[in-house]
Amino acid sequence: MERTVTVVPEAGLHARPASKLVQAANRFDADVSIGRADDGDEGLVRADSMLSVSGLNVAHGESVRVVAEGPDAADALDAVCDLLTSEVDGDANGEDDAESAADGGDPT
Amino acid sequence: MRVLTGVGSTPLSGVGAARWYRPEADLTLPDRPDPSAVDAEAELARFGDARDAAREAIRDARDWAAERVGGEEAAVFEAHEQFLDDPELVEDIEATIGDGTPAEHAVSDRFAAAVEQFEALEGPMAERADDLRDVRDRLLRVLLSADAGAVADRPDAIGDLPAGTVLLAERLTPSDTAELDPDAVAGIATVAGGRTAHAAIIARSLSIPAVVGVGERLREIADGTELLVDGADGRVVVDPDAATREGADTDAPPAVTERVSTADGRPIEVAANVGSEAEIAPAADRGADGIGLFRTEFLFYDREAPPTEEEQHEAVTAALSAFPDDRVVVRTLDIGGDKRVPYLDLPEETNPFLGRRGIRLSLDEHRDLFETQLRALLRAAATEGGEGLAVMFPLVSRIEEVEAAVSAVESVAADLDGEGVEHAVPELGAMVETPAAAFLADRLVDRLDFLSIGTNDLAQYVMAADRENDGVAAYHDPLHPAVLRAIDRTASATEGTDAAGTDAWVGMCGEMAGDPELTELLVGLGLDELSMSAVTAPAVKERVREIDSAEASALADEALACETRAEVRDVLGLDGE
Repeated sequence: MERTVTVVPEAGLHARPASKLVQAANRFDADVSIGRADDGDEGLVRADSMLSVSGLNVAHGESVRVVAEGPDAADALDAVCDLLTSEVDGDANGEDDAESAADGGDPT
Repeated sequence: MRVLTGVGSTPLSGVGAARWYRPEADLTLPDRPDPSAVDAEAELARFGDARDAAREAIRDARDWAAERVGGEEAAVFEAHEQFLDDPELVEDIEATIGDGTPAEHAVSDRFAAAVEQFEALEGPMAERADDLRDVRDRLLRVLLSADAGAVADRPDAIGDLPAGTVLLAERLTPSDTAELDPDAVAGIATVAGGRTAHAAIIARSLSIPAVVGVGERLREIADGTELLVDGADGRVVVDPDAATREGADTDAPPAVTERVSTADGRPIEVAANVGSEAEIAPAADRGADGIGLFRTEFLFYDREAPPTEEEQHEAVTAALSAFPDDRVVVRTLDIGGDKRVPYLDLPEETNPFLGRRGIRLSLDEHRDLFETQLRALLRAAATEGGEGLAVMFPLVSRIEEVEAAVSAVESVAADLDGEGVEHAVPELGAMVETPAAAFLADRLVDRLDFLSIGTNDLAQYVMAADRENDGVAAYHDPLHPAVLRAIDRTASATEGTDAAGTDAWVGMCGEMAGDPELTELLVGLGLDELSMSAVTAPAVKERVREIDSAEASALADEALACETRAEVRDVLGLDGE
């Protein structure tokens, strides 16, 4: 199963948001992969790898596709998409915060 | 003679020969053997062992960072652990080893590719390349030193530098800094980093002169260049001439062992902040009048289960016996949210600085730990020198918390009574770190023996500015008028209550207390005790002796009348920035 969502965290899939997503993907038996929605199957990388996820360099506002396969695929998909669509409060990395503040882009 | 400016971190000076610390430079790989000569099974095992050792080192670093500076620094190490366990990296490396490549070459090759991949990306991802290098270096250090029969998580060299070394680095990690020998290292200067960074705080506790955040120009300095590190004025002098060298006070100010009073006779207690057993003796050597903040978190790190009552009792009595005639203020366990202790299974929180921390945990889900700690403390209060013990509750924001904490003390005392165990109830106090506690200070002193202001957190909470976020660093200064007013409100809490029999005292245990340039202001605000990194105690004591308390009080009034931080700095005679 799969779903396409727009990335909400101001920091994109970097730093804390990436770290949390990888943690979430690792909690499930399902194989979860993620990629830019426009890049098709070839753009998918494994979501349980910090290297792969942060290597995507996905920014806030981009559209990403999440694919999950396995026994708890539905739960895994929910968990990962929840993270992609909610702001990580307060603890985005300093520089990301500084940038969003400078843009007046306060998510609250 | 050239002068580079940075941020003075440890207010001492030292002269020595420059030596760059480049932890990555020692990691030269041996020649690559023929694949047929490689025992793949053995190499896979070495890789597994190296990962275990690196994981342990990363967790130590994370705990250390969490203890010293809080969650943001610690979060970096969590990302490091994720890279270490990254399935893609691990699987690729194991496959390469299986093809007949020694573990160190397989690690080096795969990480090099990953670093390259990240460096090609734009924006904040460049930082991730640094994280990858850090993880790679940890692995390689283990793999390369294991050949010589030793396991190290950092180059041995840093703990074994020749006397008179001025250590230069991009930035130092806390674990690097903690390894330094204060007798050998004449000073530290770094390209990056700030005064409240973990490594800077550790350098202060080791009395090593330090200037941080010098910037790119520091890189031009070659090994062996003679340098003066002037941590009081925040400058690094290249090839200092004789006059400059003599002008700089390169000796630590002599310890002032006696207690001090202002010129007109008001006694001010100058105590030390202590965060580990190793810091107790140096604090006594520097002439501190006791311990104003004994952080107990170190007792809980680096282990699988909480310390026993007996272990805690021993640690506290060790501190008491180092200061037999002085007060020792022990803060009860201040963990939660950002400060992680794996075996306590604390909840993941979206905003840990505003979450389950300090007394909130102690009165609720970790009441068992709190009671064990109180038992150890009440018993210690009955030992020799125990009358100097004081117990302080962290992150208080409600009267109910104080009442619950005090009744927990009473019930532990009753239990000990019932068991026939010798004990005494020590002085009890609260740390004032939240605006709520500052607002309620006059009510807190009705129920407690003392208050101690934690300025780092108080500034963070009053100004709503994360102390680890460089983007709001300008907000994080106790000299903002709003923070000064919170301090004033707390310091004034005991005024007019003496008639009711309150003789509570108010102290301060944040970084602000250790700055001799602010001593007059703090005395003027009415503080009775100042607790700081022991290294600054002699300078603060000397300063106290010069102060006239009426003048100090007038200065404080003038500072409190200011509307901006710039005006406050001006009143105090400090530079614009």
